[in-house]
Amino acid sequence: MPIIVNLDVMMARRKMSLNELAGKVDLTLANLSILKTGKAKAIRFSTLEAICKVLDCQPGDLLEYSDK
Amino acid sequence: MKFKDKTRTEKVLIVMHIVAWLAFVGFAIEAGAILTSYIVSCINPAASAHMYKQLNLDSLMQFSFLHYSMQVFFLFLIPLIKAYIWYLVIKIASGFDIKNPFTSQVTLKLEKISFLLLGTWIVFLMNAEHSAWLLSETGKQYGSEITGDSIFMAGLVFIISQVFKRGVEIQSEHELTI
Repeated sequence: MPIIVNLDVMMARRKMSLNELAGKVDLTLANLSILKTGKAKAIRFSTLEAICKVLDCQPGDLLEYSDK
Repeated sequence: MKFKDKTRTEKVLIVMHIVAWLAFVGFAIEAGAILTSYIVSCINPAASAHMYKQLNLDSLMQFSFLHYSMQVFFLFLIPLIKAYIWYLVIKIASGFDIKNPFTSQVTLKLEKISFLLLGTWIVFLMNAEHSAWLLSETGKQYGSEITGDSIFMAGLVFIISQVFKRGVEIQSEHELTI
């Protein structure tokens, strides 16, 4: 898929583990893992909002478009 | 969970499961009875006059053993295919998850049922052609007349299976929406 999820990059910048983020955004570890590995087909605005709030970033920091 | 606590759809599925079992056993018995009476008639030709459901194929056996065998083969094949269709319905009903109903297994089984129904129609067609030939040769009607029910059902089930296939895709997308 040409949409790349840079969740791991932002987590590394904020020095936050997947467990910690899952607890703060109220998502299961399994769902967050799907998002992190790029297997997700869609993301809800509410999820995006919660992740942006916790990681203190913009949606553009998490998502990237690449047609390569 | 008790039967009365289940939703209407779950109750319908339970009833359908029981009906499918009854139909499967019924058609399996019919196929078995026809096969058994054919084997008996091969040993004792007089038995061809008293086959399953008072079927009298004695005159056909005297006319030609090959055509008698063909007629019995069609008579045996139709309940056999129907029994297998009901077996697939049992499989669908037993593994049906009401929370995640759209699975590729159900789609595959529905597709298989539609092709089997098409197969039943082809057997009916062959049987009707054979019977028409026998009518012209012997002057007696042996097989059943052709009906369009099977091909109609085959088309209907195939459309449902394609709708189910799309349902599987939508469910998969829904599950992968975070």
